[in-house]
Amino acid sequence: MLPSETVQLLCLTASSGVPLFSRGSCKQLPFSVIGSLNGVHMFGAGQGALLSSCETERDSRVAWRVFQDSLMLIAVSGTAGASSELHLRRLLENAWNCMVLVLGQDELANVRNVERLKRELRSCYRLIDRLLERGGKDQGFMGDLTHCADCLLPSQPGILQETLDSFTRAADSEFGCLLVRGRLALATDKWWRLAPQEVVLLSALVNSLSGTTSCDYPVFLPQGSPTVAHRLLCFQLLPGVVACVLCGPSPSLQRAESELVGRFWSPVVEALRVCLEQAERSTLPPSVRLRWDVEALLIINRESRRAVAVCPHARGHTPSEVPPLSSPAHRWELLRAFYTFAVTRYFTSEEPVALPTSPPSATAERLHEEFSLGFTHLPVQCYLVTDDCKCYGLQTPQHQLFLLTDLSVPTFALRTVATHTLNAISTPTGF
Amino acid sequence: MPTVPPGSIFVTDWHRSPESREYFNKILYKKKRRKFGLLEAPVMPPNLKADTVRYKVFISGKSGVGKTALAARLTGLEIPNVHYETTGMETSVVFWPVKLRESGRVLFFHFQLWDCGENVMCRFDHMLPSCEEQADAILLLFSFTDHGSFEDISNQMPRLTDPSDRVVRLVVGTKFDLFMHTDVTESEITAFQEVWGVPVFRVGGDVSSGMGEIAPLLNALAENLWHQDCAHASNSLSPPS
Ligand SMILES: Nc1nc2c(ncn2[C@@H]2O[C@H](COP(=O)(O)OP(=O)(O)OP(=O)(O)O)[C@@H](O)[C@H]2O)c(=O)[nH]1
Ligand SMILES: [Mg+2]
Repeated sequence: MLPSETVQLLCLTASSGVPLFSRGSCKQLPFSVIGSLNGVHMFGAGQGALLSSCETERDSRVAWRVFQDSLMLIAVSGTAGASSELHLRRLLENAWNCMVLVLGQDELANVRNVERLKRELRSCYRLIDRLLERGGKDQGFMGDLTHCADCLLPSQPGILQETLDSFTRAADSEFGCLLVRGRLALATDKWWRLAPQEVVLLSALVNSLSGTTSCDYPVFLPQGSPTVAHRLLCFQLLPGVVACVLCGPSPSLQRAESELVGRFWSPVVEALRVCLEQAERSTLPPSVRLRWDVEALLIINRESRRAVAVCPHARGHTPSEVPPLSSPAHRWELLRAFYTFAVTRYFTSEEPVALPTSPPSATAERLHEEFSLGFTHLPVQCYLVTDDCKCYGLQTPQHQLFLLTDLSVPTFALRTVATHTLNAISTPTGF
Repeated sequence: MPTVPPGSIFVTDWHRSPESREYFNKILYKKKRRKFGLLEAPVMPPNLKADTVRYKVFISGKSGVGKTALAARLTGLEIPNVHYETTGMETSVVFWPVKLRESGRVLFFHFQLWDCGENVMCRFDHMLPSCEEQADAILLLFSFTDHGSFEDISNQMPRLTDPSDRVVRLVVGTKFDLFMHTDVTESEITAFQEVWGVPVFRVGGDVSSGMGEIAPLLNALAENLWHQDCAHASNSLSPPS
């Protein structure tokens, strides 16, 4: 249906199937196909079945989802291999969240004037296109898939955390964070209590504004405040270091910038520079030493829904005959694939298969529960050996670790390497 | 306030002169424009001391006219080639060195450009006042490919030429590179300039790394702002800010 590697996102009104927009992919799907995709979903609904995804004979994958009984989003991927079902489902949810973030839920849930809505939806294209292009995939941003905030662990957070807390308070807010090279380095307690998707979404918004010195964006929070907009103020302290606060009507952007930014952040500018330099090398502090045979990893704190992804630039102390590392982009891709593999097959507790929306899905959910009940155990570890690397997944009550290692690591030793790596990161950093 | 002719206060085309190189090097990094965070500014060696003067510049115009593109052009960022609506208010900073003709003094102008998407501005009330609050200059944008946007500005001019307020207003025509599709004629521009005594700047096309494309607009902005401050200072006997 579509060239491989591409995903197209369609948006229609749920009740009448009027197309509102179509993004992604150079070649648009013909109108008749869009109509059929909508039709087959409606037909299912008429029969009391919820069609949520399928694969076509020609290896395309399609996922549907209706939001607020108002808008239908459909994602169509070129080749099944390139986009997992998890990816498409996340895409639908993320795209909806982008739309709520920009326009608010009221605008989307009560469609009064279709032409007007079409015009307004254009304002979401920047974020949606970034999602479709998977902006930042080469830097290993995975929040769109994991729904955990992409973080980096600064080596000396103390003074910066204090500064952030007082800066945020001075801006009449409790919600503040510091992004370094696009990753969350610090946040106030309240910021961590936003829904994980919101944290990811706000980071994505800030990262899409890379050139600006400061900004004031109205944002609706898809979970926390879908109908009342807050203001997201961002300040580029150094190129690549952005402080953000989420606030109400005051302070004005101008006042916050002229009265607060210099006062709070100038005294710690050296600490910010150190943090930035560290971020250029790694998302982990220098005190964490990884084994040379670690090619990439993703560690997730399951409670706080924070994630740190690591892709070493070069190997540490290596035996001389070891081949060089493959490109970071390639390893990030493998890491995403392994994450998807592990959470959809083994660590499924995080991943309810059904979408709890309308009545038909209750059946699907029950089926899934029955299926899970059939399992007498919950897998806590899994591994996979490929031509490129070896992969090991590890789950503890607090953490998940997804590890890619060099092929030279004996398969029987993977578990030890993984456990060792998990401790090497979590013990010194308290992550 | 009538605009001052180019070169009457500052050395004309100073960016071309070799003695300006040390100053312009401070706003470059690896042959591209350097990006400054809020905690940064160009730092000159003590023998080349230059004061910095700060101004707020509001970029105004219809959606799609090229406000975000102009801000990117002036700051040396990549110019977007598709139109993504700006869904909030954004500021960006331009440092620009100039040399005063009479005293030979060098100044760094620090322009803070305010860009707000037109559609979001209509949906949220606080944005326009925020952009206009204490603005020292307004760039009024129209697009050469959209006659309506030019008419809008012509219609606004009577309201805008209030001599008592302290705001520099310059008119900028965008997308001048798309001359094949131009919708606004040279004679209309000439007539406009004569009637309102306001120069019209033309921008468009790729920006090479040189300063040539942006210098006329930035110099005019700086010169008029400086002139406005001096005139005000001599009226009120307080030094220019
Ligand atoms: N060829 C050419 N295209 C331009 C120029 N300026 C802007 N554009 C294009 O015009 C479109 C709209 O430009 P923007 O700068 O995003 O428009 P805007 O005024 O910021 O619009 P809103 O944010 O919606 O208010 C983009 O596709 C730009 O690439 C120009 O000087 N030449
Ligand atoms: Mg814009």
